[in-house]
Amino acid sequence: MEQLSNLIVSDAELAIIATLISRLMAETNASYIMLLDKSGQVILTQGHAGIHDATALGALLAGAFSSSRHVAELLGERDFKAIFQQGTQENIYTAMVEDQWLLVIVFDKITHIGLVKVLAKKATEELGRVLARVRADSTRLKKSIVNVQFRSSIEDTIDLLFRD
Amino acid sequence: MALINLATREIHCKIVYYGIGYCGKTTNLQYVYRQVPAHTKGELLSIATETERTLFFDFLPLDLGSIDGFRMRFHLYTVPGQVLYERTRIAVLNGADGIVFVVDSQADKLEENFQSIIELERHMRALGKDLGNYPFVIQWNKRDMPNVLPVPVLERYLNRRNVPSFEAIAVRGTGVFPTLRCTAKSIMSRL
Repeated sequence: MEQLSNLIVSDAELAIIATLISRLMAETNASYIMLLDKSGQVILTQGHAGIHDATALGALLAGAFSSSRHVAELLGERDFKAIFQQGTQENIYTAMVEDQWLLVIVFDKITHIGLVKVLAKKATEELGRVLARVRADSTRLKKSIVNVQFRSSIEDTIDLLFRD
Repeated sequence: MALINLATREIHCKIVYYGIGYCGKTTNLQYVYRQVPAHTKGELLSIATETERTLFFDFLPLDLGSIDGFRMRFHLYTVPGQVLYERTRIAVLNGADGIVFVVDSQADKLEENFQSIIELERHMRALGKDLGNYPFVIQWNKRDMPNVLPVPVLERYLNRRNVPSFEAIAVRGTGVFPTLRCTAKSIMSRL
């Protein structure tokens, strides 16, 4: 499979994702949901759950998930498609979307994990369809965003910020 | 893979610092964290052992601010360098847009450095990426140590692709920003 160098999420697709996530929050009674890229970058969050640093949380969860996939390999499993982290008050269920995104659902002990799994499976299938469109559109959209002037502006900023 | 979010108008890129144990990866990030303005950085997150050896990764989010309407974010990571953490290194490499290979320039580390770069090439191939066509920069660190190899020797053994390379003394900050500037620009040129 050709490796894309970029993934571009348009306004329209993000709105679809937001609607999907809202529905999932309502159905699971989750306190917080994140959609991450597998590199740890946050695409979207909804809810509160007292989380102040979504950036760090995304990096940690993606690292943990990535690590678990290698555990699967060592066990002779093809893959772990989801991981479940159980706390005393809150739990976290993380599921993979088409080997690119991670759907993270934070829910309390009142909600049953079985319900979360069933609804997450449905959501990941829908997100998979969104991702397929995003992948198809990314090359086309890139040309409208990244031009010579943009690159030049970024380089100037890099020189300014990363200076001795 | 760089992530461009049109709705929030953000561009996110991931840079990974790779290399053997104690070569200076974490030191690079610590220096960047100390030097960049407060409003551009998040917290430096370090998942380490009690003896401060990196166990999983270090993570430093940087926000370059708004450029032509887009918020530019770089996320810097290091991998754990010790031999037993090879699988963890693969996990951290996932989704990297650019790599800094930090070399401990001391003569007795040459073999370890060589094995590490071979390992990196192997991991990148497994991730479907060609290191020869990828934002990849080498840093010759610890140039202040008494038993370092001359840079031309290091270049011959460790930089067969002739990628950009920089001398550094990361513990003093020397060479840290030139390395990072070059890596960031290399990623941008491929966006």
